Amino acid sequence: MTGRPPAAPGEADARAAGAQLLVVEDDDSTRGSIAANLTAHGYGVAEAGGAAEAIRSWELRRPDLVILDLGLPDRDGSVVVRRVRAEATTPILILSARDTERDKVDALEAGADDYVTKPFGMAELRARVAALLRRAAGPAADAEGIISVGPVAIDLARRVVTVHGAPVELTAHEYELLKVMLSQPGRLLTKGRLLRAVWGTAYDQEAHYLHVYVSRLRRKLRAADPSDAVRGLIQAEPGIGYRVRHEEPRS
Amino acid sequence: MNADGADMRSASAASSGRGLRVSMGDLRAAGRAGLVSAAALAASTAAVGVLESPAVGIDDASPLYLVAVAATGILHGTRAALVSALAAFAVYDVLFTEPRLTFSVADPREWLDLLLLLFVALVIGRLVARETERAREADGRAREAGALFGISRRLAAEPTLRGAASTIVGDLAGATRMIRVWISLHDGTSHDVIADTTRGEPIPVAASTWTLMTGGDGTAPHWVAIHSAAPGHRPTIPPEMELWGVPLKADGVALGTLWSLRPRASGMPGPEESRLLAAAANQLALALRREQLDRDATEAEIVRQSDTLKSALLDSVSHDLRTPLASIRAAAGSLTDPAVAWTDDERRAAAREIDAEAERMSQLVQSILDLSRIQGGALQPELEALDPVEVVEPVIERLEPLRDGRSILVELGALPPVRADAVLLDTVLANLLENALRHSTPGTPIRVGGDVRGGTVELVVEDGGPGVPDEALPRLFGKFYRVPGRIRGSRPGLGIGLSIVRGFVEAMGGEVSVGQSPLGGLRVSVALPIAPEPPVP
Repeated sequence: MTGRPPAAPGEADARAAGAQLLVVEDDDSTRGSIAANLTAHGYGVAEAGGAAEAIRSWELRRPDLVILDLGLPDRDGSVVVRRVRAEATTPILILSARDTERDKVDALEAGADDYVTKPFGMAELRARVAALLRRAAGPAADAEGIISVGPVAIDLARRVVTVHGAPVELTAHEYELLKVMLSQPGRLLTKGRLLRAVWGTAYDQEAHYLHVYVSRLRRKLRAADPSDAVRGLIQAEPGIGYRVRHEEPRS
Repeated sequence: MNADGADMRSASAASSGRGLRVSMGDLRAAGRAGLVSAAALAASTAAVGVLESPAVGIDDASPLYLVAVAATGILHGTRAALVSALAAFAVYDVLFTEPRLTFSVADPREWLDLLLLLFVALVIGRLVARETERAREADGRAREAGALFGISRRLAAEPTLRGAASTIVGDLAGATRMIRVWISLHDGTSHDVIADTTRGEPIPVAASTWTLMTGGDGTAPHWVAIHSAAPGHRPTIPPEMELWGVPLKADGVALGTLWSLRPRASGMPGPEESRLLAAAANQLALALRREQLDRDATEAEIVRQSDTLKSALLDSVSHDLRTPLASIRAAAGSLTDPAVAWTDDERRAAAREIDAEAERMSQLVQSILDLSRIQGGALQPELEALDPVEVVEPVIERLEPLRDGRSILVELGALPPVRADAVLLDTVLANLLENALRHSTPGTPIRVGGDVRGGTVELVVEDGGPGVPDEALPRLFGKFYRVPGRIRGSRPGLGIGLSIVRGFVEAMGGEVSVGQSPLGGLRVSVALPIAPEPPVP
């Protein structure tokens, strides 16, 4: 499909710069290009050409983020996802030529944070890396227990949501859904994950709840936002789930 | 039973009723004719005796024998009538002509009477018998025609040939003295019984079978005994039964055999039975052949269509993938050439060119993959209730870089959720919007609208571009179709966008239609069923 998401502003921002990345990809020229590009943007990059090498490298270096190809020569990339998730919340960005929704959902449900399909643009890859790193860098909520993404702020202690400082009325489920999404900006959240988090494990097939609630949320947030800055805040990834655009909080 | 290991034993013409083989049945029939004839003669003789006795005093009662001759003719045909005419002549000569009890005749006038009797008896006997035979034959032909009509009607009415065949074998068993009728098709190696009056019973094997030869040269059908000497051919047929086979042949192609089982005691099938079997076999063979040709034609059509598609695909691929590839190679080749002195700006421009062309190729590859998923029937939409607004907005956002200053007017209002697959609907809308953006010049409006129509939501994508002439509208959904004479924009497509749209929409149970937009350009509408409002806690 078309279009590249615009590169995130301030790609090489202070928090991301110097982060250590592990690039796991069996194709030498692709891996070399990714490594060279990310190195040029200030990241420290280690490379691995297979699953076993990737696991060894991860144990040795404990990188800040893993870029992982699923189709590896020795074992499937999902082995690496499970190994990393067994003991860390290190962001994992899947890079794969498998483009069916099933593959993406499986990888995300196994614990990956985002998914980029080959062929991809380097700018898009960097934007996703930066978003994941920012989310991982600091707690989603500030010291006062307030999560802010763009003009939207959610006060966890008082259970109040504001847009440009003006409160917005939300039902209990709408609030829960927004809270789950805003706590992990930049992360691609599968429908199953969102349903389980908000409605419980018995509801993880009821995707229509999500569609209805997300459109209600969008309507309410936009109604409270004359500047239209919340448009596109909650992005749908068709067939997979939702991702909240990572934005610097505004006042 | 085929040519292999079979030898012909004897041939006999069955059509005339005179066979080399005289069966028990034939003998019994002849015996019955003799008895009837003798009884009629005896009765006539007694009557003549009474009439010519002095008590009654009739001079010549010989014409009474004509009654006996006529009766024999009606009941048993020409031969019996002629025999009985001769017998009547002899009996009258011996019993009622002076001197009695001898063949000699005293009075020359009596000779005349006797010869007249013989002549008239022969003529009447023959005439009567022929009339009767004709009437019987007409009856037979009518029955045959009826049976044939039944067969053609079944072939026409039954949706499948197999269905028709199983009723036809039943009809044939009813109309002939065959006790079991079945149709076996062979395709060179295997035999396939498609109809059988006694289903489930094993098919009998015989060392010798009768085959009906129907010469294409107009010769009457006749039965030929064929010995099958194939090794390992163990007969399973009861000794009192015989196997009769009529080859199913059309256009010189042997398709199978119409088999029947008949007690040896029933004798050869009569001409009527043989004709009926031959005609049934003929009709069945024609129907089988037609079915075979239909099948071949369908397969040929599929091959032809996929060949056309393949060559169109090859044309498109060779042009549309080679063009960006050429740009990429040219730019990359120059970048790596140490002899070229690049400025930083030039180098970046070349790299951007490579990136943009690669992006274009990647879109083409995606389109070809989408198309092959439709062609291959690999689409399995996951239908769920979707809010149209929620589907449209991310697409518009994604296409932002293509917008080029044009406004995209979204007028969706409050639409009910549609029943669709999120990924497919996303692709559909992206293709339509891209199409609108590609085919309209900057500054022209593009509109996305939505309406409830019956049980569907109709999503409309229209533009103020140059549009498509009416006569080209129906061809828009064809693969690799581009409106002729259209100056292509800077981003030419493969001409498969709309066929992907239609393939995806139909896979979701919706409908696509195209028309002229009040904005001036093309209007494409996608109708999708409204999803039942799901219960939401």
